[in-house]
Amino acid sequence: MIFNSFHFLFFFIIVTTLYFILPHKKRWLLLLLSSCYFYMAFVPIYILILGFTIVVDYFAAIFIENSAGKQRRLFLVGSLIANIGILCFFKYYNFINTNFSFLLHGFGLSNPIPYLSILLPIGLSFHTFQAMSYTIEVYRGKQKTERHFGIYALYVMFYPQLVAGPIERPQNLLHQFREKHTFDSDRVFEGLKIIIWGLFKKLVIADRLGIYVNGAYNNVAQQNGMTLLLATLFFSFQVYCDFSGYSDIAIGTARVMGFNLMTNFRRPVFAKTTGEFWKRWHISLSTWFKDYLYFPIGGSKVSVPRWYFNLMVVFLISGLWHGANWTYIIWGGINGFYLVFAIITKKYSDKFNSVTGINKLPRLYLFFQISITFLLISFSRIFFRARTVKDAVTIIKKILTFKGSVFNDGSAIIIYCFVAIFFLLTVELKKEFYKGSFTLSHHQNFWVRNSYYSFLIILIILLGVFDGGQFIYFQF
Amino acid sequence: MIEVYKKLSIKKGYQYLLLKIAAFLLLAFITDFISGSILRSFYFKQTSGWEYRTKYSIDGTRADVLIFGASRAQQQYNPLYFEERLHQSCYNVGRDGEPFFYYYAVLKAVLKRYTPKIIILDIENGVFKESQDSYDRMSILLPFYKSHPEMRSIIELRSPFEKLKLQSQIYPFNSMLFKIAIGNTEMNKKRNQDIKGYVELRRVLDEPIRTVDFLKNKYAIDSNKVNFYRSFIKDCKQANVKLYIVCSPYFIHAVGTDISMTIAKEIAGENNIDFVDFAKDEIFLNNSKLFDDTVHINVAGSKIFSNKLIDTMILKNKIF
Repeated sequence: MIFNSFHFLFFFIIVTTLYFILPHKKRWLLLLLSSCYFYMAFVPIYILILGFTIVVDYFAAIFIENSAGKQRRLFLVGSLIANIGILCFFKYYNFINTNFSFLLHGFGLSNPIPYLSILLPIGLSFHTFQAMSYTIEVYRGKQKTERHFGIYALYVMFYPQLVAGPIERPQNLLHQFREKHTFDSDRVFEGLKIIIWGLFKKLVIADRLGIYVNGAYNNVAQQNGMTLLLATLFFSFQVYCDFSGYSDIAIGTARVMGFNLMTNFRRPVFAKTTGEFWKRWHISLSTWFKDYLYFPIGGSKVSVPRWYFNLMVVFLISGLWHGANWTYIIWGGINGFYLVFAIITKKYSDKFNSVTGINKLPRLYLFFQISITFLLISFSRIFFRARTVKDAVTIIKKILTFKGSVFNDGSAIIIYCFVAIFFLLTVELKKEFYKGSFTLSHHQNFWVRNSYYSFLIILIILLGVFDGGQFIYFQF
Repeated sequence: MIEVYKKLSIKKGYQYLLLKIAAFLLLAFITDFISGSILRSFYFKQTSGWEYRTKYSIDGTRADVLIFGASRAQQQYNPLYFEERLHQSCYNVGRDGEPFFYYYAVLKAVLKRYTPKIIILDIENGVFKESQDSYDRMSILLPFYKSHPEMRSIIELRSPFEKLKLQSQIYPFNSMLFKIAIGNTEMNKKRNQDIKGYVELRRVLDEPIRTVDFLKNKYAIDSNKVNFYRSFIKDCKQANVKLYIVCSPYFIHAVGTDISMTIAKEIAGENNIDFVDFAKDEIFLNNSKLFDDTVHINVAGSKIFSNKLIDTMILKNKIF
């Protein structure tokens, strides 16, 4: 069941209505059952995998809390092995096997291990990470165990963020299931507005750009450099609107029922450095890696070479988290390299700024920084989007020729794309740099405010792509 | 009911919420109605271009000979040759990229208005292939849903919620804003020139013939498409329209026959309909210069093909 479907619309209306009709004590059960239904609408059998990790982590956390010393650590390791083991089996088994075969082939040997026809459980990486954060926090003593099995299961399965995040922390989400959420029409409307904006980003911008991007990236050999360059820039906006659109719908859906999920995107298009970009992009994952991987391996409080190593490790694993393909690993590597390179060259870039005096022209400097960051991130995304490393290399080679005229199939697709991006940037620019100024979305006048949102709905119906299908991040 | 309301943990009152929702829906409804009506008006005002040709095919043409199909109909059958030699008016209602649903919907609309004398239905390889895209592509028929009840059952196959979506006045014109805008400009009349629905292809193919093994090319068949094909034949027979089903030339060396083509031939045979197959015609197989690409003949090829088909029609039936 995807958010941009009528199936979900009816599901959402029914669940939300029942949620407020039911007494507080029964609400967890409603949410748990509806979350099961939501998940089973994809591939029903995979709920067993989810159920297995829930049971393992539920008991592991209790054992961790009740034990001390090495035993405590042992339970944590057991829980992590179970979670990572499932993730590795379903997501990386065939990838590892392929690379193993390649390695053996180099020595003239054949691989006896069979390939398996495995369908990746939807959202596996998301709910596994969320479950792991619970046991780790219990181990660290920052979170008390949740003894109510149903509420713990709901923490892992809460349907708005079950399949594509935000990846929540127990400290933020668990207690909310025990709180009584009163019906507040202002909050309901606020949630609905976030949903509308999320749908707009997904249907009008992401899926529209997706038509052009897919056309170019799925036929790399037939496309010229300029077309691939445009498709690459479009993809940056597509993936942002697709994923942040999903997050908005998740956050809005939860908000309607009184739950506050963490912010997952903070206008990454306006990041001034690649380091800042990761503080604005997929925040729930970035902070997860920071808290549970980067800091435990030493973070920046180690020798300089080790610091660089730590950064690279985090980004390479982040790449692998996204998918079992070398393209993702390279994508992660490039982004790690950006950070390391920025640290190494900081004094030179500072010198360059003072010599040229560009930093004395704040607006120009800001524009320059944002543009460079956007281009660097877009470049790395060639690997993120390309089907194979070979394709990605071909795309880069073709782009560097800067040759050919931009492909246009005669329809108005490019015009739609530019209009959509213009609309997005206008809204985001306003939010980023002109916060206190005139606003339509939060105008004091009811009719002005709601005219804006009904205009968005009309644009969704008029310009939305209703055949666009799944969200990109579902595959992870 | 009051008990239920009491159970609700209401902070600001459900009446307030309902009022806000009602006001919001009213705003959305008014905007949808006004914008939809404007779009509808401009859609049907177009005088050239793709959408105009669809509109003319459904609501305008009264030609004696109609040519149905996708791009291989639209870009290969020149109505002028048919008019000249058959002494009948002719219009090409084919539309690039459209699946069988489109042909049948147009046929139903046409037969509701008048009865053409001859219908030529171009069938291509893979015509009955199962694909969601075929259903999505029916979006071009959405503007006709309201005014053409005979098409509704076909259009509603797009999705289980299509009927609900079509309550919106804007939805039928989804993704058509720029097309409608351009379709109403003078510029478009010059840009999209066609000859009674026929669009010339002027490129000349310059590549050796390739082999396609249809025996290896298996795919799932869409029973809806096959059923509509049967209905297409049945409706033509009932209306006493002379139907020719044609497979136009390909520049490929085929091993075996495409599954859809086999099905189409069988059903045509069962119904005693003339099936004219040019897929292995030597004139075309030996001359790439008659093609625009491997599946479309160019303007030179169209002249030869159209006349060869007319010869076959005259020979087969001695009707003219």
